[in-house]
Amino acid sequence: MPPRLNLFNARTAVPVFRQPSVKVSRPSIATINSARSTRHGLKTGLTSSTRMQQRWSSSTSGGDNSERPKAPAEDSLPHVSEEAAEISKIMDKKCDGTPASPELEQGTPISEILQRDKEAQKHMPKVMQDQIKSSTGTRSFSTFTRRSQAELHGQGKSFDEQTAAVMASMISQVNQQAEELHDGIKFDPVETLPKTENFRTRYDSLLEQFTKLLMTDGKLSRAQKDMAFILDHLRTASPPQPNPKRPLLPGPPAPQLPLNPVLYLTLIVDSVAPLIKIRQQKGIAGGGASVQIPVPLALRQRRRTAIKWIIDASDKRRDSKFAQRVANELVSVAEGRSGVWDRREQQHKLGIAGRSNLAGARR
Amino acid sequence: MVSSFCWGCLTRLRPTPRAVLPPPVAAPRAAAFHTSTVRYALPTKKKNSLDGPPKYRQAKSARMKKKKPVERARPPPVGERKALRKRIVLSNPNALEVEGMQDFTSENMVDARLRGSVLGLPVPMLTQLRAVEAFKPKQGWSIFRRPGTVVRRETLELGRLIDSISNEGQDKGKSVKKIVTGVRGSGKTVHLLQAMAMAFTKQWVVFTVPEPQDLVIAHTGYAPLSDETPNLYVQNEATATLLSRTVAANEQVLKSLHVSREHPALKSSVKAGTTLEELAKLGIQDPAIAWVVFQALWTELTATSPASGFDKNFKPRPPMLVTVDGLSHWMKNSEYRSAEFEPIHAHDLVFVRHFLELLKPGTGKPTLPNGGLLLYSTSASNNPTIYSFEVALKQIAARQAGLNASAPEFPQADPYSGADKRVIDAFDSSKPTVAKEGILELQTLGGLTRDEARGFMEYFARSGLLREKISDEWVGEKWSLAGGGVIGELEKLGRRLRVTD
Repeated sequence: MPPRLNLFNARTAVPVFRQPSVKVSRPSIATINSARSTRHGLKTGLTSSTRMQQRWSSSTSGGDNSERPKAPAEDSLPHVSEEAAEISKIMDKKCDGTPASPELEQGTPISEILQRDKEAQKHMPKVMQDQIKSSTGTRSFSTFTRRSQAELHGQGKSFDEQTAAVMASMISQVNQQAEELHDGIKFDPVETLPKTENFRTRYDSLLEQFTKLLMTDGKLSRAQKDMAFILDHLRTASPPQPNPKRPLLPGPPAPQLPLNPVLYLTLIVDSVAPLIKIRQQKGIAGGGASVQIPVPLALRQRRRTAIKWIIDASDKRRDSKFAQRVANELVSVAEGRSGVWDRREQQHKLGIAGRSNLAGARR
Repeated sequence: MVSSFCWGCLTRLRPTPRAVLPPPVAAPRAAAFHTSTVRYALPTKKKNSLDGPPKYRQAKSARMKKKKPVERARPPPVGERKALRKRIVLSNPNALEVEGMQDFTSENMVDARLRGSVLGLPVPMLTQLRAVEAFKPKQGWSIFRRPGTVVRRETLELGRLIDSISNEGQDKGKSVKKIVTGVRGSGKTVHLLQAMAMAFTKQWVVFTVPEPQDLVIAHTGYAPLSDETPNLYVQNEATATLLSRTVAANEQVLKSLHVSREHPALKSSVKAGTTLEELAKLGIQDPAIAWVVFQALWTELTATSPASGFDKNFKPRPPMLVTVDGLSHWMKNSEYRSAEFEPIHAHDLVFVRHFLELLKPGTGKPTLPNGGLLLYSTSASNNPTIYSFEVALKQIAARQAGLNASAPEFPQADPYSGADKRVIDAFDSSKPTVAKEGILELQTLGGLTRDEARGFMEYFARSGLLREKISDEWVGEKWSLAGGGVIGELEKLGRRLRVTD
């Protein structure tokens, strides 16, 4: 135990320097506190609060503060004698009413002694016994601003409810009047426009993505021409003969597909879109070897991959026109003849084989 | 609490001797209980110095690999791409058959009840229409089951006109001259096509110039007409093509007609019993005499009575329809050059001159004595801007409105703008002196009415191309979007693909 330094006497006036927190390891301040607060010892002890606010500037503070929510800047400084008691509790575990060393040295408020000593409570002065008996902890009135505010608030609520009811009745009245007026309204309320009615998003999302992937050298207009050619080809070419081994995604029957070329195109692209991509990652297995990790793809990424594959595959065709090549490739995908299907299967096979590597990747 | 170590004790601590610490791990060691082999990095191979010592004089930066272009087996043969571009597809087997669609007949082309509906072009007539190049590649015939056109107000007027010219009545044998203008996509070319279809149903003879531009861009051969007229030039190949178009389209009519007079320029090859089809084929076989043959054919078709000795099997000539699509290319200097390397004006080409002179009122007898219709249209998509032609069109409109050429309001060319006098004179036709000849008119095509637009959009929906509920409100919206029912824009809206998601 660190030695207690008694720098000042209790009677000496002390220039007070405020410290944000007082700990046991700083004994000098603790002693000053004790010196100042002994005067109010009885009063604080009578209140049921276990921790009391230290007010440096005003000595006449009173009232029940324990219920009050604490402001953030308010500092909780335990009463010095409590502190001392805690310390003594820690230091020497025998606490049977016999005063320990700090009490002997500097004295303890009588209330504290009475609190822990049941025997002494019986014999305490009558005045103090009456006070304990009469104090119920609540008052019929409040001396505290915040509580009164809260009470005011509670009253305001009921007032608000009244006005809200009045307002509601007024609104319903107006609504009734508007309903009566409904005959005069000429048109039905406007429905929300479909997404493609906005000129910025006028094309279907897949259509736009495909068109922009057709684009080379930033020539969007040319890509759009190509896209128009492709759609016209899908529209006029004979309907696809579906391959039962490589079916398109469920949709309208094949003879109806050319009537809705955008849907036709979407079905083709989505049918060959892979679910995953394979990432080569080094450093999992150690030794610089890379392992293949399957990574799931989002819808747009899946489509992008599929479109890339289709365009790549169309490069090997021999038609002189680019759009014609892509259109023919699309039809062959729909009929299950294209190599894009193999590519997709290969990708999925790799992904299944690489599933075991996923555990390593997570580590 | 104070630590049990005091500061001095800490300083007195000695570092542990090295030998006590475990030796640093040199290689990744597998745990003792592992049975799998340890993976080591492959030992770095020594570089095979096959390519010799390092190269200092060469670029060391990473080189982008270029994709090798795929070897296409053959470059597309000459003309394949153009054929692909000019290909005309008139049918889409995937589109739905529109139930209850009627065909063009001589009866229903004047039926006002059909206004706003789509009439199909009869299938046997399609070869004739293809022969006169009535269809253009970008017109969107290819998305429907079979070609059809909307009956609009102008179509009905045209039908009545053609009907009155061919049928018995006060208007029989009348010749009408019209210049068709209008904004882009307003249906000028299809209007000409409808006229041709009606003319074919009425057994007329149809002459067409589908691409006037081809005559002035120096893509066909040309030669001076004769020594007497060194300033006039003849285009024999182009004339031969015109003849072949005419023969292919009007074969039945021309076969039934016979030569009615002598043609000294053609000498002995034309005899009394020769049909007009054989006469025209002379020019197709030998393009050198194509222009002479064309003139002979024109004389025969405009003949009202046979010469003496030829009246054995003379039949009255049918009315004629002459169409030119895209007039303004003929209103400037052509790309041809004279022997002095001066540019040749388009009006100095006899082919062009012949068709432009038809606009002038005839002297003594009408330009088309057997009646007929001249329909010349402007183009708005491939169109040189020619100021004098614009003024000439304004003058035609003013004259049609009854203004005198000497009136102060009569539109005149700005004297400082260098207007082409020849162009203005070409359309400066005074009031015709001959009865049965109409004044040159200007017809401006606008948009469809809402009802006609609705019929057109319903045609899209019934063909399965448009997935919308066709209501008046919806049609009104599209009608406004299409600039007040401009049919070309309506067609774009109809085939526009909208998928709501």
